[in-house]
Amino acid sequence: MGDKGKEFYEKIKSKIDTVQKEGTLENKFGMFWKFASNIKFRQHDLRYLYEDSSREFVEKYRDQLIAMKEEFVQNMDYYVEKCIKVMREANNMTVYLAKTNEEAQDIFMKEIGEAKVIYKSKSNEAKDIGIIDVLKNNNIEIKETDLGDVLVQLFDYKLPSFGIGPGAHFTREEIVAKIKEVHGVELEPKASAIVKYYRETYRKELLNDVKVSLTSANVISAEDGTIILGENEGNISLLTRATEKHIVVCGITKIVPTILDAVLVAKLQTRINNVSFSYISLIAGPSNTSDVQGERVLGMYGAKEVVVILVDDWRTNALKKDKIYKDFLKCVGCRTCNYACTASRAFGNIFASKYGLGADGIIRDYIHNGIEAAVKDGLFLCTGCENCRHWCPVSVNLGEIMKSIKKEATKVGLCPPPLMEYQQKILKDKNPFK
Amino acid sequence: MSKLIYLGCLSTRFYDSTCKNAIKIIQFLDREYQVIENPPCCGSLAYNMTSDEIMKTHVEFVNDWFKTNNITELVTICAGCYSYFTRYYKEFLGSEFTIKIQHFLQFLADPQNLHKLNLKYSGKSLKVNYHDACHLRNSSVPIIEEPRIILNSIENIELIESDYNKTKSICCGAGGGVYSIFKENSDYNAKTIFENMKKGKALLTACPFCYTALNRIREDNNIRKPVIKFEDFIAKLMEGVEPISG
Repeated sequence: MGDKGKEFYEKIKSKIDTVQKEGTLENKFGMFWKFASNIKFRQHDLRYLYEDSSREFVEKYRDQLIAMKEEFVQNMDYYVEKCIKVMREANNMTVYLAKTNEEAQDIFMKEIGEAKVIYKSKSNEAKDIGIIDVLKNNNIEIKETDLGDVLVQLFDYKLPSFGIGPGAHFTREEIVAKIKEVHGVELEPKASAIVKYYRETYRKELLNDVKVSLTSANVISAEDGTIILGENEGNISLLTRATEKHIVVCGITKIVPTILDAVLVAKLQTRINNVSFSYISLIAGPSNTSDVQGERVLGMYGAKEVVVILVDDWRTNALKKDKIYKDFLKCVGCRTCNYACTASRAFGNIFASKYGLGADGIIRDYIHNGIEAAVKDGLFLCTGCENCRHWCPVSVNLGEIMKSIKKEATKVGLCPPPLMEYQQKILKDKNPFK
Repeated sequence: MSKLIYLGCLSTRFYDSTCKNAIKIIQFLDREYQVIENPPCCGSLAYNMTSDEIMKTHVEFVNDWFKTNNITELVTICAGCYSYFTRYYKEFLGSEFTIKIQHFLQFLADPQNLHKLNLKYSGKSLKVNYHDACHLRNSSVPIIEEPRIILNSIENIELIESDYNKTKSICCGAGGGVYSIFKENSDYNAKTIFENMKKGKALLTACPFCYTALNRIREDNNIRKPVIKFEDFIAKLMEGVEPISG
């Protein structure tokens, strides 16, 4: 097993060479990410959007957020049950509680019926739950609608990218060249020209052709079963209204006790990322009308059906079996841990997994695919500086989780050999430098 | 003997003059503090790659060594040792661990000690930056204000805060054993620390791991501003010598 530790160590070394080599995809992303994460890092202390800085906003609500998430985690069964009941009984939603990702994938495939095209918004949860993989395996066409993801699809970019702005590392020139290559249309290398092109070509399709749409949820209120979705582009508004069936897939940890808690989390997600949602949708059921003789009919102008697939998978298990990643249940999915992570800044998308950048992405890979996956993602690049904990609005200590995963990796012989030498010297000679 | 100066493996191996300075300062303030040759490593460097069961055995060994030598309190100049003793020894040993742990900065920041040191800078004025080490700001008893109290008490010395300070500080890239396997982390992050220094003439650090990473980056990039270990800075002030000269 020790040989594997050496092999994986060498592979990471070679990935570092790639990220440092000018012109490689990893290098280009790395350069962008250094710039982007630095800006995001600095924005926390600026007052350019509101009277308070993002940091002040987070500090003001930190204790409240932690207490709220802990209340949910300690009473997860209760809140999940409550949420499902109100969604079914009051909100006319079709709701499933999937015990595993596989179960969620089966439910999803049944719910999409004969549809061969799925329009989706940006959804990290869909990746976590494996929906994207299952759609690909079943030859269902996935049409991304967030412009960043549209660009990622256009470039067929396979490497992990920035969760908040997935295509932000492509230059204007690269984008217009790619559009010309793929669509045969010549555009000026300007952001406004690129946006205009998609508005004129894609918007019409989104307004008229969507039958089944997929979104996640930013947060869900257990109190009244309201799903909150935030966005800037309007794609989510179209996908959730101009569709026959709107399917929501997310983990049960998106649930919070009350609607006010939910609004606070949504607001927090914007403040901590220094963006401002143009639209916040509060979805509490399919479109409907009672205007004909007071008879309620579902499916007026908006979605006819809202299907919610809540997924447990690793979550209850993490709590009940006291797993090392239990603290991760409190995560509100704001992704700010990425900006503050020194390993992420130094190594870009080689310190990442298919679930996303940084420790967040690596821990998810560990949960779903085990210890070898985490080591290959660059587990040992983490210095354990715990900047993630200090920046996290609910103080999730990803650094401590990473330390525990490192211990497990060592147990199965996956630790980089030079570190093992230190360990041996400490344990035997009581001095690492003897 | 009951009071120990615990220098830490890294400083003992690589920074002999700093160790001597630390001993001089600590003993000037309290003669009872002594050094014992070859103390066992606290184990912090092994923590990430050792099971809790094996780690506990090592921690018990160290605790027994303290007991055998009648140690009741210690001052350490290593941020890693401080963090590990305060954060994990209690977890492993519970009430069995009774040693009073102080970092050099806490010891110095004690009002009586500061008064006794009566530090002054003989020059006109000196602006310095301080790098908050992860080990110090993350420990169960965080050390954040102590270096500021010390520096602000020194006549003619002005502490300039970096953009990223206290709990916002950037890791130098030397934590978690990463420096020994992937130095490229510090290539970027340690350089960023210098870029955020602003007007300081020197960068002070109280962590030997940070010093190692920062000083390498300083040399590799021909950065003029020196990195100075806190112990060396204080010792030079005590001697009335220019504290930022080589």
